[in-house]
Amino acid sequence: MSQNLVLMLLGGALLRISAFSTTYVNYVKPGFRPLLIAAGLVIFAIGLLGLVRRSAEHHHGPRVAWLLCLPVFAVFLIAPPALGSFAAARSEAPPPPQVLDAYAPLQAAGATEMKMSEFIGRVFSDSNQTLKDRTVKLTGFVTPSRKKGQWFVTRMQLACCAADAYALKVIVRGVPQPTPDSWVMVTGTWVPTEVDDNATGIVYAELDATAVERVEAPSEPYE
Amino acid sequence: MSVPRTLEIPPDEWGRPRSPAQVPWLFLAIIAALLAGRFLLAPHLTAPALQTWATIFVAICVQALPFLVFGVALSAAIAAFVPPGFWTRALPKRPAVAVPVAGLAGAVLPGCECASVPVASGLIKRGVTPAAALAFLLSSPAINPVVLVATAVAFPNEPLMVLARFAASLVAAVGVGWLWLRFGKTEWIRNRAHHHGSFLEAMRHDLLHAGGFLIVGGLAAATLNVVVPREWLTAVAEVPWLSVLVLAALAVLLSICSEADAFVAASMSAFSPTAKLTFMVVGPMVDLKLIALQTGTFGKAFAVRFVPVTLVFAVVASVVVGWILL
Repeated sequence: MSQNLVLMLLGGALLRISAFSTTYVNYVKPGFRPLLIAAGLVIFAIGLLGLVRRSAEHHHGPRVAWLLCLPVFAVFLIAPPALGSFAAARSEAPPPPQVLDAYAPLQAAGATEMKMSEFIGRVFSDSNQTLKDRTVKLTGFVTPSRKKGQWFVTRMQLACCAADAYALKVIVRGVPQPTPDSWVMVTGTWVPTEVDDNATGIVYAELDATAVERVEAPSEPYE
Repeated sequence: MSVPRTLEIPPDEWGRPRSPAQVPWLFLAIIAALLAGRFLLAPHLTAPALQTWATIFVAICVQALPFLVFGVALSAAIAAFVPPGFWTRALPKRPAVAVPVAGLAGAVLPGCECASVPVASGLIKRGVTPAAALAFLLSSPAINPVVLVATAVAFPNEPLMVLARFAASLVAAVGVGWLWLRFGKTEWIRNRAHHHGSFLEAMRHDLLHAGGFLIVGGLAAATLNVVVPREWLTAVAEVPWLSVLVLAALAVLLSICSEADAFVAASMSAFSPTAKLTFMVVGPMVDLKLIALQTGTFGKAFAVRFVPVTLVFAVVASVVVGWILL
């Protein structure tokens, strides 16, 4: 029965992205790994057992099951990468991250590396203005902006899987834009923006950059 | 009855399984083609829209499969190991009481909607009143502890949102269950003709079947995710009744797992709390992925009646509960 092969391929593809490599982090949260390995093993085993112990009676598998080949083909032939600037440019509503208003003060000398979500959190929900006159380093990929003289350093954030991803974007000014989708670390200081309650459209946090350097893509692409 | 001589009788090997010797070769050929395609084809399939679509499609499938496997295994276990009389003894005798009890029982199945469809189908096969099994089907992805904790985390400043979600989901699930009890017909739910013997065979069949329909839903959801621009949404956020309907429609189209939808709802800051509540109540009950799964499991005649009724109940329940609580 060839549909047993479909199951084995599907189980194999799941194991391929979770057990034998870490590409699964492009699609789901890192914590999913044990679940994916278990599901891959079960699906593979069901296909294998169905193949080995073929029952005498003739079973017609449902025809819709052939569609299970599609994710297998997508995984092997397209090898979908982590969401990049195309998805980020479409994600037009950056949420103010849900954070408590209790941030530790930053060191005065030198630059502090921080996550994009922490930076945006400090910008929008920190009454103590801990970012004022401090230098920070943000890591993310490059998304072009429609406005001239600026671009976005971007990181996607997941709740569960890439279907619910949204973009954390910070405007970068003062340094030329590297090629889109390349990973960079930007050093700069926060530009306080006048946040008007009646403002229409989206207000992004802004960074006055002094340096930008290329970095390796991180092992976990999402924050 | 005799066969006319002129009629050609198909050769014996027709309809028989292919001889086992061919299968491993076919399998090896497919794997070789996939591995070759990985190196020959993948570098050329790099259009950003295609890649984004494929990432979201694979993500929906990859994320749903563990839960589907879990649900299918649980359903097969119910069919194979729970004695036939158990459910009639465990649930109240009167169906009108069994519906809310089953709805509340949904709180104990920690999974998302992909797991609940096969489990509900297993329950119906084991003699549970369809109305009660359907109330369970609707409530369990929405009110189980994992989802409620996720909701609490996503809305740290609005503790009432958790209560509102629990109440609205339960009200809608029980309402649909009672309506089905009063007007539903057994023949609308397709009874699968063939009987699955073993635990393994039942699991294999359900996995192939529900899995195939999951892919249909995943394809549709990924496409809409890439094609529909999100800016359209914020434009309607100001009109209250419209915003509720738009977020209900978005919940149906995006097919986000019920364990993640609270975070997405929380991120839509332009919308009213009631609209966000609607998003979280509708999503686990009606979405493209689920419609495909339900059509596959219970048949088309079921889905065309059940899906619209559920949608109406879910929206009305969220509006009423949101108006009272939020």
